[in-house]
Amino acid sequence: MYSELKDKNFEIISVAEDTGGVKDAKPWIDAAKPEYTVLVDTQHLVTRLYDMVNVPTAVWINEQGRIVRPNEAAYVDDRYKGMHRLDAAEYLAAIRDWAAHGDQSEYALSETEIRARLTPQKPDWALAAAEFALGEYLYHNGQGEASIRHYKEAQRLNPDSWNYKRQAWALSDAEREYGTSFMKEVQKLNGKPYYAPRKLKKDGKP
Amino acid sequence: MKTINRLICAILFCAFTIMTTRAADPGQQTVIYDNAATAVATPPAAFNASSDLWVTLADLTRATKFALKPQGVCRDELCFPLPKNRKTAFLRTQAKTTWFNLSEFARLLHQPVAREAETWYFGPRLEVQNAFVGSLTAPDFTLPDVNGKPHALHDFRGKKVLLITWASW
Repeated sequence: MYSELKDKNFEIISVAEDTGGVKDAKPWIDAAKPEYTVLVDTQHLVTRLYDMVNVPTAVWINEQGRIVRPNEAAYVDDRYKGMHRLDAAEYLAAIRDWAAHGDQSEYALSETEIRARLTPQKPDWALAAAEFALGEYLYHNGQGEASIRHYKEAQRLNPDSWNYKRQAWALSDAEREYGTSFMKEVQKLNGKPYYAPRKLKKDGKP
Repeated sequence: MKTINRLICAILFCAFTIMTTRAADPGQQTVIYDNAATAVATPPAAFNASSDLWVTLADLTRATKFALKPQGVCRDELCFPLPKNRKTAFLRTQAKTTWFNLSEFARLLHQPVAREAETWYFGPRLEVQNAFVGSLTAPDFTLPDVNGKPHALHDFRGKKVLLITWASW
């Protein structure tokens, strides 16, 4: 898609939210051989700045550096559709429309609509972000065992964040340290959506 | 050659993963502020400071770029006056050294704090974190690519940017 759209003043910045850094992210990048910009975020900085709670999450940013679509699920293929039930083709069509029409695209949302979709961070979530960041620091400084306490605290304070859970579980033996696993937690949802429902158009149509 | 490339890559990458690793000594007080870690001096035992973080004024500036001024605790144009009736909660002098209570200052600023033993992490003030919700300006960041080369979001100004996160996990 990028090669098709790059002449329309359109760029993709793909950010790997990986505490393990290049070591963990590189095999995926090598496999995808992307032409667009791929960055590695060992501190989950983008997650923190934009208040993201899962991957893949996308934000659309216009030529002036302003958000025109805030955080939303951004599946660009149907590999995991069984889990999230979101159609990639519709999302890709929306991106193409925006690349062609910019702010005039019906998928570039109004300020009112964007504000309605954004929630200011509450103190509990801010504390969760701090606990997670401390966990990251401890992990990177050879205190893996201590980091687990803080990852757990982040998960407790912001239970909506799959990032805090999945990243922490991936860094250790999740069954042993956290008494659970990603698949177990997904099964626990028991039909509830794994990812916040997506409203592609302003009127709430999917 | 490959090894050297890898080494250079590792060195460049470390420059971005911040955090000078002087926290190896667990007794060493470490402050992480604006994502940068700084080792700071520990206050005298008489402070009984188990629940608060006291730093010298020099360390305050080294670790946070804030400085104590007559009008308050300031960084560039930004100044936070200390509550007049609670000055002693923020400042203590012992043996000619003035100590500043950084954790009390964080409470004053509504700044989230996490702690593991002598390592203290200070997150952004809530109003800073939430600023983009009001302005709708995309928060800027600089991150390295796999070769360690930094890229900033603002480098892409003038283009439409699809910012998308993913992970190996």
